[in-house]
Amino acid sequence: MTLSRITTKADLQDYLHAAMQLEHATIPPYLTALYSIHPGTNSDAFHVIRVVAVEEMLHLTLAANMLNAVGGEPDMTRAGFVPRYPAYLPDGEADFEVSLERFSPTAIGTFLKIERPAQAPSEEMRVLRRPKPRAAIPAVHPDGDDGLHFWSIGEFYAEIARGIQHLHDQGVDLFTGDPSRQVTPELYYSGGGEVIPVKDLASALAAVELISEQGEGLTGSIYDEEGELSHYFRFQQLTLGRYYQAGDVANSPTGPALEVDWDAVYPLLTNATITDFPAGSEVRAAAEAFNAGYAEFLSLVNQAFTGQPDLLIPAVGEMFALRDQVGRLVRNPAPGRPGVNAAPTFDMPETTR
Amino acid sequence: MSAQTRLEPFLAFSSRVTAFTVFELQGTGQAAAYLETVVGVVGEALLGDLLSIDEAIQREADGDAAVRDRLLRARIFSDERLGPVARHIIKLWYLGTWYALPKDWHEVFGSVEDDVTFVVSAAAYAEGLVWPAIGANPPGAKGPGYGTWAMPPKIPAF
Repeated sequence: MTLSRITTKADLQDYLHAAMQLEHATIPPYLTALYSIHPGTNSDAFHVIRVVAVEEMLHLTLAANMLNAVGGEPDMTRAGFVPRYPAYLPDGEADFEVSLERFSPTAIGTFLKIERPAQAPSEEMRVLRRPKPRAAIPAVHPDGDDGLHFWSIGEFYAEIARGIQHLHDQGVDLFTGDPSRQVTPELYYSGGGEVIPVKDLASALAAVELISEQGEGLTGSIYDEEGELSHYFRFQQLTLGRYYQAGDVANSPTGPALEVDWDAVYPLLTNATITDFPAGSEVRAAAEAFNAGYAEFLSLVNQAFTGQPDLLIPAVGEMFALRDQVGRLVRNPAPGRPGVNAAPTFDMPETTR
Repeated sequence: MSAQTRLEPFLAFSSRVTAFTVFELQGTGQAAAYLETVVGVVGEALLGDLLSIDEAIQREADGDAAVRDRLLRARIFSDERLGPVARHIIKLWYLGTWYALPKDWHEVFGSVEDDVTFVVSAAAYAEGLVWPAIGANPPGAKGPGYGTWAMPPKIPAF
């Protein structure tokens, strides 16, 4: 497939597959930065990154609900679903790559690009062509990559909203999915907002709107409808050293000062891969165990998204166990690399099924 | 000896007496804080003696676990001066708390000003080895997720 304008239901399903991949692709970078922070330090930064990461998990779940609602089949276990970092984002943003790296001004710079407000600086910048990326994700970037490249996640979701409305207006029977596949609020506990079951036009558009607003705010505002600061401006607080408060305008926060200690961070190996750690070492074994656990976790979440929503509860338990595994990795020195610590590599087997 | 060069033998000894690997001990993020705690209470000289004897035991045991355990018991844990300290190092790793040495120990080896019972830090409590050992999370920290209390604990193999 290519990401061209949505004109058919199949196009919409392709976009929603890409949306799941996109939402997921942001999570390993956010978590790597988050857990590189020394426990008990950088409380402001820790909570800013954590809130955003958890909201991406909500967005992933909402994308799965939308895909299920329109009769698609979520698949987070297929080869290439988890990108090899550094990676371009799956919506085709062409001018930056995302890395797995420690909390640093560079990492926050990348996070600001991930969450940048919707509008491209000019129409020429909006739909970009670019060479085939190194870290291409097969489902989204086919050979001869000639699809649309969105300037921002916001523009990507604007096309999804437009496509849903367009197909609805054309009389396409969109919401043919099995309603029992929806993840409903009683299964989604304290995870960045309330999950929306998608069953019709209104709920589908509400889901898109929730994702877009948490990411970038209401049009013309740094806050969303619930009065929550959007992701871009949350991260910006870390570079400006000051919190936003009600009444503030973009780029000029006037709230309390915010302290960042860029040195209270474990010196993680950037974009580590499994072969960076010597075979036979405890670090290698732990990194492999994490990857295997992550693959199993994705598989479990995928089962939750494909007919057994109750499995989301035990999957969340697995997620917290993975968190503790990451904590052990990042506190260990990387063997043979003085001054550098180990890191989760998120290397997936070819297929995790 | 600097704290950095002390860390490796301290971790090696700690691993042998806690049954957790050096990776797992480092994974608590508390290694440097615990070493500092022990040195701060009992002093460089005593810890140096303990670690030197431990290293000599390793050489002598030459990989034979049964010999090693026997020598550890005989030369460290049965030693009037080193035994209580070694036991309190184990408790430190498991509970994140330094326990004041017994009164008897002080009567023989003199009082140590900083030897009081204290939790090393808030993080030390959460990182105690007792929690993974029993497959539980530290109450109030490392939340394991809604509903996981209904599932059996995951206890690691030792």
